[in-house]
Amino acid sequence: MLAALALAAIGMLAGSLGALLGIGGGVIVVPALSELYGVPFRHAVAASLVVIVASSSASSAAYVERGAANLRVGVVLELATVAGALLGSAVAGFAPIPALKLLFALVALYSAVMLWIGRRGASDSADASAQAVHGWVPGLAMSTVAGAISGLLGVGGGLFKMPGMTLAMGIPFKVAAATSNFMIGVTAAAGAYVYFARGDLDPQLAAPLVVGVFAGAMLGSSLLPRLPARRLQGAFAMLLVFLGGRMIWGVLGGAR
Amino acid sequence: MNRAVARALWAGTLTGVGLCAAATLARALDLAVAPRLAQLGVIALFITPPLRLAVVAGAFWREGSRRHAAAALVVLGALLVTAARAALL
Repeated sequence: MLAALALAAIGMLAGSLGALLGIGGGVIVVPALSELYGVPFRHAVAASLVVIVASSSASSAAYVERGAANLRVGVVLELATVAGALLGSAVAGFAPIPALKLLFALVALYSAVMLWIGRRGASDSADASAQAVHGWVPGLAMSTVAGAISGLLGVGGGLFKMPGMTLAMGIPFKVAAATSNFMIGVTAAAGAYVYFARGDLDPQLAAPLVVGVFAGAMLGSSLLPRLPARRLQGAFAMLLVFLGGRMIWGVLGGAR
Repeated sequence: MNRAVARALWAGTLTGVGLCAAATLARALDLAVAPRLAQLGVIALFITPPLRLAVVAGAFWREGSRRHAAAALVVLGALLVTAARAALL
């Protein structure tokens, strides 16, 4: 009972942060399961991908209903993210775990730097149709990388998609967050199918996380219109530095 | 279009989350049905992204945005092939 409640609490934290920041919440779920609970890394990644599907579906339903997501940009970028996710999840089947953990940490630290730099140019505009979208080539390239990272590490890919959309494509932060949320579920599902086929997915581990993430996503998406974009990006950057450092410490400490 | 996509998202999500909640409760009560409920919940969540893509593709097609409809259909095709492979293994 206690284990199910703790898993639901992790899911709730991941869901609320995911909805607020345009990420899937995997950056919370994977380290929590693998570092705190000792769940095998690939099983943690697989459970995280299921959580991301639930988180994205719940929060993006609210965004899409309000017209906050740019679906035209989303479906084009999904071509790249899904291709990347299929490749990444296939590679994750034979990649060494310490290498995956180090990559996870590096991705978290890189994203923290990108978000901190991009914080000054963050726009609070929430109009999904008014902005002029440019930079499709870097946007698609970043989306492919985001998909591959999602499949490898179970992080949803918002970590790379958000800087790609806000910095390279000029999409306002809140529109990018809503569009990213819409895309993340599709990307994560592609990766999750591959983990499921390999037998790395434990539905009983994923179920309480899903319940928590649903409640958290509802809370986060209702708070988003009232919170300032710059502070959100700054807070998220600091969280990523902490999680990335924790993961590096764990891998290097384990190697000694 | 937004309303149709949102409805598809809500339908899949609420079914999946409902089954996962039932699985969590059943696990807490040590009921034998818990693993089956969890599996059904995950499958319901797995169906949601392809469902949403089908709705988006249809909506773009009706609006005359053929290129966006084609993009959604390509992604849908990739998901369905991967899902079918996962189900068969």
